[in-house]
Amino acid sequence: MDLLEKIRILADAAKYDVSCSSSGSDRKNKNGGIGNASFYGICHSWSEDGRCISLLKILFTNICIYDCSYCVNRCTNDVERALFTSDELADITINFYRRNYIEGLFLSSAVYKSPDYTMELLIKTVKKLREEYNFNGYIHLKAIPGADVNLIRMAGLYADRMSVNIELPSERSLKLLAPQKTKESIIKPMSFIHNQLLEKSESKKLMRYTDKFVPAGQTTQLIIGATPESDRTILRLSENLYKHYDLKRVYYSAYIPVSNDSNISKVTSPPLLREHRLYQADWLLRYYNFKADELLTEEEPNFDISLDPKINWAMKNLNLFPVEINTADYNMLLKVPGIGLRAAKRIVKARKATHLSYDSLKKLGVVLKRAKYFITCNGKYYAECNIEADKIKGKLTSKNRILDGQLSIFDIDNSLSNLPIIV
Amino acid sequence: MVNYIFDGSFDGLMTVVYEAYYSHQKPNDIFSEGNHQINFLGHDVYVSTDIDKSNKVQDAIETKISKEALRNIYYVYLSELESSYMLIYKYIRLGFKIGKKLDYFIQNDIVHEMTKLSQRVKHEAYKMIELIRFKEVKKGLFLAKIHPDYNVLPTIMPHFAERFQDQYFIIHDEKRNLSAVYDKKAWIITDIPLENISKVKDTKDYEILWKIYHKSIAIKERKNMKLQMQHMPKKYWDMLTEKQ
Repeated sequence: MDLLEKIRILADAAKYDVSCSSSGSDRKNKNGGIGNASFYGICHSWSEDGRCISLLKILFTNICIYDCSYCVNRCTNDVERALFTSDELADITINFYRRNYIEGLFLSSAVYKSPDYTMELLIKTVKKLREEYNFNGYIHLKAIPGADVNLIRMAGLYADRMSVNIELPSERSLKLLAPQKTKESIIKPMSFIHNQLLEKSESKKLMRYTDKFVPAGQTTQLIIGATPESDRTILRLSENLYKHYDLKRVYYSAYIPVSNDSNISKVTSPPLLREHRLYQADWLLRYYNFKADELLTEEEPNFDISLDPKINWAMKNLNLFPVEINTADYNMLLKVPGIGLRAAKRIVKARKATHLSYDSLKKLGVVLKRAKYFITCNGKYYAECNIEADKIKGKLTSKNRILDGQLSIFDIDNSLSNLPIIV
Repeated sequence: MVNYIFDGSFDGLMTVVYEAYYSHQKPNDIFSEGNHQINFLGHDVYVSTDIDKSNKVQDAIETKISKEALRNIYYVYLSELESSYMLIYKYIRLGFKIGKKLDYFIQNDIVHEMTKLSQRVKHEAYKMIELIRFKEVKKGLFLAKIHPDYNVLPTIMPHFAERFQDQYFIIHDEKRNLSAVYDKKAWIITDIPLENISKVKDTKDYEILWKIYHKSIAIKERKNMKLQMQHMPKKYWDMLTEKQ
């Protein structure tokens, strides 16, 4: 089989993994070698679905011994199969890199022969890149569930980031859809990587030089919409993962039907808008100091799909608003819809120089269209309606907002028809 | 009132600032050579570039205002907009008055205009770092062609020189006929013309592999060309291997 075919099949098989980020590592170019990592990550292209291409995201092989019903590569699926060699993959990576197509490699694989055997193949490839080619670009490696922890440790010495995909948001769903995987086989490598990272940061305090071990940390991915878990279940799971395993990111992947298994919820089109709301909420957890339980309750376990989660929260807590732009503290500014991290920082900075007027807020990056319902400026409330939930909601969900507001990144015609229909 | 004319270099512009301060003659306008428009207000003064004076001005900006301000000024200068020269002059004047707190005055029109313009230039420099595509035109020699709106070539070279330490490469700005050349040790920017630049081809087959990869990695159920275009503006498509 020629290289062209292999790339076609194994990129296609890797595309459902959402992560493509190349951030979090500042690996330097050593000894006149090739490549370095940029701490904030660099995207190099965007595919036709609008997702960024930063890393060469590819499977080593899609030949699999497992039969997980959500997965396109399950062994009972009738798809073309291919297998790289380490030499081929290393050569493609280097040559793509030299042409500035990519920031590095994101190598994953189906489980070929056994978890340990597969992990060894991945390690062989990245070892070749690091040691033979003196490649210092970004490498994201998948930890194969069930692989020996010693292999995980070895892999971590070459990789900038590792990830173990949880995929299914509850143990029940896992048992149903991926009977050959266990919760332990997923959690074990995750907690192992976490403990290694803790150990490294401890020994760093004592020793001047320690080996780099996944400097950009670990991430995971959850599939949205294949199983019936609520937004709240998913968000609380993410919160726990951030808290207990110190994950850098949890990715959410709207389920795209790849098989007709009877255990999977019937999905007519991928729930892209729900995925988008979860990402927004995830941001609120990580950067805006929100808690999952503040955003969703037992009574209302799912997001109102027509509002972004921050507005959703503000509506339920109208007693905290409006806030005065000239005096509110940073944390409260962050909670105002229409004020992002950057605008909040700039407000705090600009306030030191002069008193802020309503007109100047736009220059500072405040989205007044949303913020005006929740703020006062020098004591004056500028919105055209009273601060009442129904009225504000009416204004913020009007058709205009859906067209030119945050949802514009989706294809407009599909934005609402994309909701999953779960039978 | 005086119209200052300089040679178009950054040091030249800084020399203008120096002269305007020490001759106590406020500029009516500032022009780069060749773009000078006849103006009935004030008389013309040609300023010849003086590195020492330029350094003095730059040092003063760094110490009295901030490093960040000097960086902003440089990026705004790279915009090559004729109107940017007066803007820079006004920004420096304001900065010497206000001092280190200059950047807090985000509301001020001059500061706002400077921030906006320098961000536009920085943004394009960043787009180039993302989207430049090299071709291996001879064994071991890589070449990329660009045509940015702003003169960002000098700002992106450190990035590539650090990254591709073991690789000979050239980045050619077609719009300005400038080439940045790296020889595994250092880089320079030159206007020496390159031979046969229009016909260069990649001598290896990786371009076709990249195109296949690019196509296969997209999820067709999520197709969203508008979003793709938002990140990869059409004006850069002729640089992109995957769009050929």
